[in-house]
Amino acid sequence: MERIALLSPVCSPRLQNYPLYIRSVPTENELKFHYTVHTSLDVVDEKISAMGKALVDQRELYLGLLYPTEDYKVYGYVTNSKVKFVMVVDSSNTALRDNEIRSMFRKLHNSYTDIMCNPFYNPGDCIHSRAFDNMVTSMMMQYVK
Amino acid sequence: MTRVEMADEALFLLLHNEMVAGLHRAAEQGEAENGRCITKLENMGFRVGQGLIERFTKDTARFKDELDIMKFICKDFWTTVFKKQIDNLRTNHQGIYVLQDNKFRLLTQMSAGKQYLEHAPKYLAFTCGLIRGGLSNLGIKSIVTAEVSVMPACKFQVMIQKM
Amino acid sequence: MDPAAAVAAEEEEGSEKPPVIYTMENKPIVTCAGDQNLFTSVYPMLSQQLPRDPMEWRRSYGRAPKMIHLESNFVQFKEELLPKEGNKALLTFPFLHIYWTECCDTEVYKATVKDDITKWQNVLKVHSSVDWLIVVVESDAKKKNKTNILPRTSIVDKIRNDFCNKQSDRCVVLSDPLKDSSRSQESWNAFLTKLRTLLLMSFTKNLGKFEDDMRTLREKRTEPGWSFCEYFMVQEELAFVFEMLQQFEDALVQYDELDALFSQYVVNFGAGDGANWLTFFCQPVRSWNGLILRKPIDMEKRELIQNQEATLLDLRSYLFSRQCTLLIFLQRPWEVSQRALELLHNCVQELKLLEVSVPPGALDCWVFLSCLEVLQRIEGCCDRAQIDANVSHTVGLWSYATEKLKSLGYLCGLVSEKGPNSEDLNRTVDLLAGLGAERPETANTAQSPYKKLKEALSSVETFEKHYLDLSHATIEMYTNIGRIRSAKLVGKDLAEFYMRKKGPQKAEVYLQGALKTYLAEGWALLITHTRKQLAECQKHLGQIENYLQTSSLLAADNHLTEDERTHFCQEILNFANQQTEGQGEKVILSMHSFAQLKTLHFDPPNAVVHVGGTLSVELTLLSQMPIPVQVDQIAINVHFSIEKNSYRKTAEWLTKHKTSNGIISFSNEVVGFPLSRNNLPALELYEMYERSPSDNSLNTTGIICKNVHMLLRRQESSSSLEMSSGVTLEDGAHMLKCSNLILEPGINRITFRTQAKEPGTYTLRQLCMSVGKVQFVLPHIYPIVQYDVYSQEPQLKVEPLTDSLLAGIPQKVKFTVTTGHYTMKNGDTLQLSNADAMPILYHPESKAVIYSNTRERVSQSTLTIQSSEKITSIALPMAPAYHVIEFELEVMYLPSAPVVAMERENLINKDLHRKSKEKQKADNCMATVDQKVTIDCPWSIYSTIIALTFSIPFNAKHSLLSAGKRKYVQVCVQNMSELCFELSENNLKNSGNYTDLQLVPLNSESQQLIYSKQSVFFVWELKWMKELPPSLQCQFLFSFCPVTSEEQSFSLKPFIYEFQVENFFTLYNVKAEIFPPLGAEYCKTGSLCSLEVSITRLSDLLEVDKDEALTESDGYCTTKLMYEVVDNSSNWAVCGKSSGVISMPVAARATHKVHMEVMPLFAGYLPFPDVRLYKYLPHHSAHSMQLDADSWIENDNLSVDKNVDDQADSSSIRSRGSIHSTTSGEHKGLPMPRLQSFSSGQVFNSSTGMQILVIPSKDDHVLEVSVT
Repeated sequence: MERIALLSPVCSPRLQNYPLYIRSVPTENELKFHYTVHTSLDVVDEKISAMGKALVDQRELYLGLLYPTEDYKVYGYVTNSKVKFVMVVDSSNTALRDNEIRSMFRKLHNSYTDIMCNPFYNPGDCIHSRAFDNMVTSMMMQYVK
Repeated sequence: MTRVEMADEALFLLLHNEMVAGLHRAAEQGEAENGRCITKLENMGFRVGQGLIERFTKDTARFKDELDIMKFICKDFWTTVFKKQIDNLRTNHQGIYVLQDNKFRLLTQMSAGKQYLEHAPKYLAFTCGLIRGGLSNLGIKSIVTAEVSVMPACKFQVMIQKM
Repeated sequence: MDPAAAVAAEEEEGSEKPPVIYTMENKPIVTCAGDQNLFTSVYPMLSQQLPRDPMEWRRSYGRAPKMIHLESNFVQFKEELLPKEGNKALLTFPFLHIYWTECCDTEVYKATVKDDITKWQNVLKVHSSVDWLIVVVESDAKKKNKTNILPRTSIVDKIRNDFCNKQSDRCVVLSDPLKDSSRSQESWNAFLTKLRTLLLMSFTKNLGKFEDDMRTLREKRTEPGWSFCEYFMVQEELAFVFEMLQQFEDALVQYDELDALFSQYVVNFGAGDGANWLTFFCQPVRSWNGLILRKPIDMEKRELIQNQEATLLDLRSYLFSRQCTLLIFLQRPWEVSQRALELLHNCVQELKLLEVSVPPGALDCWVFLSCLEVLQRIEGCCDRAQIDANVSHTVGLWSYATEKLKSLGYLCGLVSEKGPNSEDLNRTVDLLAGLGAERPETANTAQSPYKKLKEALSSVETFEKHYLDLSHATIEMYTNIGRIRSAKLVGKDLAEFYMRKKGPQKAEVYLQGALKTYLAEGWALLITHTRKQLAECQKHLGQIENYLQTSSLLAADNHLTEDERTHFCQEILNFANQQTEGQGEKVILSMHSFAQLKTLHFDPPNAVVHVGGTLSVELTLLSQMPIPVQVDQIAINVHFSIEKNSYRKTAEWLTKHKTSNGIISFSNEVVGFPLSRNNLPALELYEMYERSPSDNSLNTTGIICKNVHMLLRRQESSSSLEMSSGVTLEDGAHMLKCSNLILEPGINRITFRTQAKEPGTYTLRQLCMSVGKVQFVLPHIYPIVQYDVYSQEPQLKVEPLTDSLLAGIPQKVKFTVTTGHYTMKNGDTLQLSNADAMPILYHPESKAVIYSNTRERVSQSTLTIQSSEKITSIALPMAPAYHVIEFELEVMYLPSAPVVAMERENLINKDLHRKSKEKQKADNCMATVDQKVTIDCPWSIYSTIIALTFSIPFNAKHSLLSAGKRKYVQVCVQNMSELCFELSENNLKNSGNYTDLQLVPLNSESQQLIYSKQSVFFVWELKWMKELPPSLQCQFLFSFCPVTSEEQSFSLKPFIYEFQVENFFTLYNVKAEIFPPLGAEYCKTGSLCSLEVSITRLSDLLEVDKDEALTESDGYCTTKLMYEVVDNSSNWAVCGKSSGVISMPVAARATHKVHMEVMPLFAGYLPFPDVRLYKYLPHHSAHSMQLDADSWIENDNLSVDKNVDDQADSSSIRSRGSIHSTTSGEHKGLPMPRLQSFSSGQVFNSSTGMQILVIPSKDDHVLEVSVT
């Protein structure tokens, strides 16, 4: 089981940190998932600001494991355009190691940039693109046990 | 530069010219109140900038700070769009940056000197938007203005809005 | 005894000291054989010197070399100390064996020492231990008292020969160790260096060997018999040694390897291939007393592992405790906390994975205790400041502990009003049992995790206390480090807790707080969920209003199921419809969640109505409720203001909404997903042109932004997005209402109709929907929506169709009745008071058209008009208020009506007269006459007076012409109008009754055209028998009709011109004659000629003569006349007196001649000088004198035609007199005879216009002389 959330850029003309796209497979206790993702933003922000201070010279977009909970692992990724990607993986899912996660984030990022070039997408709006949906679905299926 | 590159560059230049011309024709026919053309072009640029920067920064490392971003705009971004770098970047470290391009692509075909100077602004608006859009997508709100005195050289001034 | 145990035993008492001490206890063992006393004497020095200098340790396997300070634990050599074959213990392994001797006597050596060493060597050989050293101590003291001394070296050499074949360095000399001399110092250093080197060599050798064995052992792990626990012990031994050597990194690595290895096994087990030894760890969990980190080695657990009785938790706990210890040696406490959290999560997972049966709550206890233990351990080794600075590392543990305690609370029924039931209690007891007895090391610490947990589980109250402490601590920490979201989440748990405890008032704060965050970030699902909780909370709190508001939000929330939404909607309705006795206070809620105002549509579209008119407003409401809602009333609160310029305003308003043609649409943001308010204004970019001041050429162009200041100022943090609950209901006098309708889900159209009352501007302020006791209010309708009401008085307008009306011909006049607020009823009529001069002509088919206010033709009806002799009444068609009735009538002005005609004849002439007086020879325009008509309108008791102005197309003048005694009257008619008329039946009548007077027309044809601006003249001769009255009344008239007018019916309109002539009978004939000088044939310029003026009386005494001048003596009368010769053209110089008074006999044919001399000043045909004749009246009264003065003045500027004019105007003299009467004051008093001119026609100048030829004289100078 694995869930993906794509969160709005920090400086979107609209609100900050509202979900541009949020998807959960399977959909049961989706609510808990939303809560987890939302709280994970705390850590994302912490990491970003830490980088802002340039103390850590962590120049990678992938933030790695944000924090583990008893039953989830939460991973983060922030594009240069400050779009936050958060991925929540079930702790029991040992198939997903850091590298898989990283590459999944890359995929997400790629299709997000495609969306940005979609004339029918207005930056900062929620994403309703089918192409994106399909991509995410296939990506999840690949790892759902 | 390969023929292909030249071709697609030409495409951009020509397209841009037509865009400017088209808008102003519309304005003269009163479909859009004149003078807003500048804003229209700038907005187009803005959206394009957003999209472009999303692509261009996809594989770059995370930026350290504002200056880092400005450098990116002047080097990679400018090169990809205008096939050359900004010639000079100055800043007062108070959030104002001046990007000087001594041979700005969109003006080179137009004139070398003061001829057509009065028309120059329309051909800068799009690029102003381009910069603003790019920056905004990188989380920097800004205002971008431009200035030409002898073509094809021109200056873009970026005022960063502290958030 | 087991040396490991011994070591451990040593620890037992050492446990309260800081752990660093412990490792000092544990040093590599070095055995000492030989001379014990000697050793003891050297020992202090040795043990002190050995660690002083570090020594570099080169490592095998390319590991980085380290500098280490060596220490050793010197023990007496015993054979038992030597490790037996296959021994895995390293801690107790003797790394070096030293033999001490100070023998310097060969005999003694041979006798005892040699054998002793040999024996020692053999033992070592048996145990194949090659790490040994022989120390020979020398002291001068000994030599002193010795005789037959061998060279010192000999003993050492012997020993070397005997034992150290080829490795001579195994025997060292230590000379005078207890002396303080440089020599002894040197030997010490040499010795120590040797010692260290050998030790390290031994380490490298033995550890290397050990590691190899260990590795081989690990390789065997796939073999059936392999036991993790055994392997564990082995690798831990290595770890111990590293720790002993204070190589904590290396030690830690050992444990991490073990950790990883184990984890891997578990994962593989999950994947299917389980190693059988793992089953040991799968035994059900029976004790869950968390981690113990207070002592460096938890021997109990270690034994369990050793004896292969450890459970997974035991293993993990022990492993972690070791890692923790090492990390703390390494000063990395924060890594401890972080690893701890991972460990705990991991354990929980592993237990799941291995399907280990765990009693409910056991894990929670274990985790809870562990968290606190870790935290306390860290607190134990850090000061407050450090801890505060690193909250971010520890807070995770805090919240985990809180979470666990919470679930324990729920599990044990501690979170409820009425405490735990028996079942809960049993469970609690079991859980506590699993904790076992508290560990001795924490027994006497007050706040130990063990105590906390026991206490927390002991009672509802204590649980609450502990849970709250933890929660608050956690929240505070999260908040301090800015993890607001996490803090809110803990807060929500707290809220749930309070709700369970039926303490909603405490819960509310947290829920609101969380909700605010979620709203601010627009997380719909979280908003929905939290709202649901909040709703329940508010319900308990009895905050009806808030509850209903929240319910409405939820009912509108499409993240909820249909049923849930319906439920909340029903909640509102239930409340709304419940009968409350007496107090009928309404609950006011904001509408935005209930329904949204989409559009508003006015009819009429311009939203302007007249008083009494109906206006309809159609609202489009989007109901967000899932089910139809019965609405008692929808009301729009309207604010009324009297506006003077409501029209202008309206116009403005209309233009503003021109596109919407009466439809105003409203924007709503999605409920529950508000967008941030502080959107920046758009850039205002403009082209910039900068010209050089010198020549105006372009310097620079560019783009500038005009509202930088607006954009660059920092945006203030967006105000709270949750709508303010304080909705106030305005009570305005004006309301648009709409009752009893059902609001279907989705779009609804509601139409309001209103009758406009007071004129003014009406602003729609609020929208209010009442459902039973509940009122949903839209506090502000924006953009501003207004409609205007105006009022208008009824009025009648009558205007000609042509720009001016001409008298005498029928012309159309348009009647416009604007009904205004008046409604035309059946039988309403316009009553026109007839004027004979202006009949109203109408055709039966004349129609009246009714228009609406907006000029749309409504209807048309025939006009019924009755006219009596006095009144014409026009029956108006019925028409509603604010309509316009239009019809046309023909009117004609008849100048002919006598009386009227007479006086207005004068009017006109006066008019003309004045005009001609005012502007000299200005082409005088048409005379006009205002014809007033009084009209009674049905809407008013006062009658309206309307004046129509008619222009008289003609202007007539007359003049009297004389030829001797014969008289002619000439009338000149001028057409002033633009039209061309045909004149006919011209006729001059003598209106006086002088029968014998006849007027003989000298005019040719009876009919003739008179074009615009053309004049036509008519002449008549007066003929008579007898003598005539002094004055004669005449009336000139003719008919005319416009040539253009096709229908003849109204064609002939008589134009009448009345005038009178007075004293037209000729009394005197004046005749002048000029004769050349005698002998001359012609008159010459400059030569005097004689002028003879002969005045002849033509008639006998007449009435007119009877005046002061007349003197009568013996039957015949004379009158006094004055003659005057004037030559205005100054052709003549009159020599001598040019005027004189004569007395003239009043009798026919009486003649009087006057002679005088005149001189022509020019040559050519000169007209005669003018001879004038006046009546000469001697002065009498002041009055007459005054008149006289007048006449003087008069006569100065008398001219013939002027006279005529005067004559024509009967009032002219009087008027002129009156004009002068004021100014004539100055003449008063001075007696003066009067001159009175004759009226024209009384004097006939027969020589008028005569000329005489004057020839120029030869000599001009004469002329000149004569002139001077």
